[in-house]
Amino acid sequence: MDRKIAVVVCFAFGVVMFAQYFSAHPLARSVNQTIADYWQIIFAFALIVGVVGFLSNNLQRVHKGQDRPFRLLALAGFVIMPVLAMIWGIKAGTPFLWVFENVQVPLQSTVFALLAFFVASASFRGFRARSVPAAILLSAALIILISRSFATGPLSDWLPGVAEWIRNNPSMAARRAILIGIGLGSLTTSLRVILGIERTWLGGGK
Amino acid sequence: MRLETRHWIFAGLFLLIGLTLASGIRLDLPVSPDTQRMHDFIEGLPNGSVLLVSFDHEASSLPEIQPIARALLRHGFEHKLRLVGLALMAEGTAIGYRLMCETAEEFDAEYGTDYVFLGFRPQYIAAILSMGESIKATFPEDYLGRPYDSLALMRPLGDYSDVAGVLSIADGSFTTHWVEYGGRYELKVLAGVTAAMVTTYDPYLASGQMQAMVSGLRGAAEYETLINRGGEGARGMLAQTSAHLYVILLLILGNVAYFLERRRTN
Repeated sequence: MDRKIAVVVCFAFGVVMFAQYFSAHPLARSVNQTIADYWQIIFAFALIVGVVGFLSNNLQRVHKGQDRPFRLLALAGFVIMPVLAMIWGIKAGTPFLWVFENVQVPLQSTVFALLAFFVASASFRGFRARSVPAAILLSAALIILISRSFATGPLSDWLPGVAEWIRNNPSMAARRAILIGIGLGSLTTSLRVILGIERTWLGGGK
Repeated sequence: MRLETRHWIFAGLFLLIGLTLASGIRLDLPVSPDTQRMHDFIEGLPNGSVLLVSFDHEASSLPEIQPIARALLRHGFEHKLRLVGLALMAEGTAIGYRLMCETAEEFDAEYGTDYVFLGFRPQYIAAILSMGESIKATFPEDYLGRPYDSLALMRPLGDYSDVAGVLSIADGSFTTHWVEYGGRYELKVLAGVTAAMVTTYDPYLASGQMQAMVSGLRGAAEYETLINRGGEGARGMLAQTSAHLYVILLLILGNVAYFLERRRTN
């Protein structure tokens, strides 16, 4: 019974949201606004689930002694940031923003920057022209790489044109094919969910 | 520890980037049509137009995103646009707020009149749709908790029909949501994105669903040239160029070694 209620609610909201898209009537706009508001509220509650999950997971591991220093550091960050925000606020020049700018941003940028080193290593060790398709891919990669750099001399005359051609023809054709595929896939999956044919989102197996 | 080939590769890249950054050499880049189109779009807006600036990125991509955002904000303030900042990713909130405040200070722009920062809303699709119906209902207060109606810039703004467009500063596919859901309200979409995301947005740019795009450090450097203001983009381009050439050299060396080895084993 409870599954049937969920399917009916899903069907009703699916049909309403679909129908209101084609209407500029104030009622339709009001429905859209209200549902979008509730959507954000529900999402905010989903964040609470994430917060509780993070806390319980880390506390359990601390208790078991698994990676204790790292877990304690994560928990300390979890507690400190809201406390800083509540005491000193979130304006420019506050401790909250200072910690964000000087701890979180450099840490994340560092991890992201490591990619450059892996790419450099992989380009030497892994990217080989083993076949014709691989050679074409390699050539395209080289042209795009140079075009995103500072090229001088004769290179600068023809290279941007070749790079543009790669972007606007083979690359765009592939991207459009993927986008159309994703669109059709989303459409069919949405219809299956709205019509109650697809019920795996309800959980519980069959 | 025994040094392997990859360690030497890492060290080479580190040294190269360090040296090029320290050299302070600035490159004079030709401006690409994409960047020119963005500049022309902003130049074409009447003074006083309201432009939404959405910081839809994480902190990790800041070295690439910040020069783009700063160059575009500078042009916006210089052209006397009124900028309304917001974030659809939580991490973009603090970064966006700081960038807007810093850039506004360069142009003596006043908070509440020339620019406002609304802050973050969860669930980006719902936020975009909701703003299409009412910006005030979506953001009853700004980032600092000031009521919507107390901000002179915000008071006359109802929905997307009152703004010239949205500039999405993104390191992922967030801008596509502005195109897909903002497009319903005929919202004009501009993008400042990381170089890796260019091909994702090319179809939207070609179809006219997106008005203009500035991409990567190169795009930032080109934009700095257009607005006659040197910045992080131009500074980073030399390091990026040297890193790209280093990767190209490694690709060639790796393939030469591969073909020599293949010939020897045959």
